[in-house]
Amino acid sequence: MPQRRYVHPEPGDDLAAIAARECPEVEDPNTLLSWNLHLAARPGGRGSVLPSDLVFVEPPLKAQ
Amino acid sequence: MFDLVIRDGLIVDGSGLPARRGDVAITDGKVVSVGGRAGEAKHNVDASGRAVAPGFIDPHTHYDAQLCFDPYAFPAIEHGVTTVVPGNCSLSPAPLPANQREAFSRMFRLIEEMPKDAFDAGVDWRWGEDFGQYLDVIAQDLAINVAPLVGHSVIRLSVMGDDARNRTATDNEIAAMCALLDKCLEAGAIGLSTSFVDIDDTYQPVPSRWAAPEELDALAAVLGAHSAVLQIVHEFYDADLTIARVNQLAELSVAHQITTTLSPLFHNAAAPNEVQRVLDAVEAARQRGAAVWPQMQTRPIDISFTLHQRSLMLLTMPAWWKVASIAEHADKVAAVIADKEKLAAEMDAIQQRRSGLGAGEFVVRQVVHERNANLVGRTIDDIAEERGCTHGEAVVDIVIDEDLGTWFIRESIGHDQSEAIGAMLADPNVHVGASDGGAHVGSFSTFGDTGYLFSEFVRTTGSMSLEQAVKKITLDPATIWGIEGRGLLAPGYAADVVVFDPDTIARGPEVASEDFPGEGIRWIRRQEGVDTVVVNGAVTWTAQDGYIDSARAGVIATR
Repeated sequence: MPQRRYVHPEPGDDLAAIAARECPEVEDPNTLLSWNLHLAARPGGRGSVLPSDLVFVEPPLKAQ
Repeated sequence: MFDLVIRDGLIVDGSGLPARRGDVAITDGKVVSVGGRAGEAKHNVDASGRAVAPGFIDPHTHYDAQLCFDPYAFPAIEHGVTTVVPGNCSLSPAPLPANQREAFSRMFRLIEEMPKDAFDAGVDWRWGEDFGQYLDVIAQDLAINVAPLVGHSVIRLSVMGDDARNRTATDNEIAAMCALLDKCLEAGAIGLSTSFVDIDDTYQPVPSRWAAPEELDALAAVLGAHSAVLQIVHEFYDADLTIARVNQLAELSVAHQITTTLSPLFHNAAAPNEVQRVLDAVEAARQRGAAVWPQMQTRPIDISFTLHQRSLMLLTMPAWWKVASIAEHADKVAAVIADKEKLAAEMDAIQQRRSGLGAGEFVVRQVVHERNANLVGRTIDDIAEERGCTHGEAVVDIVIDEDLGTWFIRESIGHDQSEAIGAMLADPNVHVGASDGGAHVGSFSTFGDTGYLFSEFVRTTGSMSLEQAVKKITLDPATIWGIEGRGLLAPGYAADVVVFDPDTIARGPEVASEDFPGEGIRWIRRQEGVDTVVVNGAVTWTAQDGYIDSARAGVIATR
């Protein structure tokens, strides 16, 4: 079954680093945040990630 | 001569096989025969016209604090629950260094909505810092069986101290955590619980959320060596995230040969296909040989709240959360009056943010002043229209007039489409659980989910047979969790037995109870249709006599 591609953060990662590594074709770093709204309201600020987080590196799939 | 015989009942033995009529004989806390006519016994229970089933198992509870002052986990037992799994969601009262107790206590009280007075009344740390000693202490006075999880956040606090709350672990620290987990499993832990969503009292992620995947993988390897279980609370509000967690659990399950479970899983009427996508992912994991069990609760979501205490309902309204968090009553009243307009506006705004969840649907549940008795049972929408004000203004005016003592309820917020939920509960891949027993005491009752399984999903929707429903809450959880010798009425199994009327078993109405230590109330439901509950051969509750004072046959079920 089709599932959204995701990664776990690597040490020292923030969303910008993950975007650069996992989806270099994406120019606007806010795009990755828009795919990961669960990371948008973090106490550490927008774009901060925790080691246990899941970070989607593609947009939501089309409805089946 | 047998110790106890339950005579002439409809035996629903937990296997899912068709019920049959006969006797259940018990000696020395064990079932010795099932079916037929048993001989003489010291004690007899007449079960004619009643079902006789294994005691129910509740796999997702937070009785950790309550068990320290209440050996019955009241009122769980009268609903037929004879075994509970506490320590879920990364939080257990041990193993914990003395200098982390206060941090843990604040975290537990916030996340599980446990009043400080009640928590402090039970959790006096008389077991010291060791998990095995903690089990030794609660085992001295138990009427119910306990199969405890050890919490990942607590393991981190033990090994890393305050650093557990702000960084990943070093290799040496991971090794120390693995050694500590191993010790806890040896002492009787049934598995490890972790959380990917919870925040502490400072609104920071709980320690388990600072664990890198490598840490969880190492801990899962220890679980595998003990055939132990990994429980997670995941990002249940999002199907894509839930599916990703299912995949993560599947990888851990296959790699380490462990059983995993995630809770809760809710049906969403606004997006009914989402939960099916999750179940499809679970089935795909199953096809890969993974054991991933989503837990689904039976009851709809209702939430009550008052300004006397913090509540889930107020969590996404910062101004309300702030005033609800004020300790001194006079200060709280002053703050509500001073911030009256802001509070009203914030409550009005929730209608715009969450369609269908506006304050207009709140119902006045309980009032302080007799002069306001006419408000009870009415919606805020109705009251606001009568007063010519907004919903938020109506709520604020009522709570000020009531010295902040009014209780409101929002019923059926979700997970209330019984036909759809019944079909999912009957799915062999779905684990009935997620009751949160013993937690959220001011927001909703966590008791009676088993009665509701029968009343709603056996009798009303016909989603499953009586035998299937019993299996769902007896042999299934015993098998999933590896609780040996329970969950089945068969010779040699523990004599945990519930006698009930299959035509009337249900959850009673949600009522306020003042039974907890300290001031304030909690919401509970009493049983309906249950006759007798036996724990390890001891009659522990009967409809006629209530709780038996001398019944203390509960054990640590993993030892």
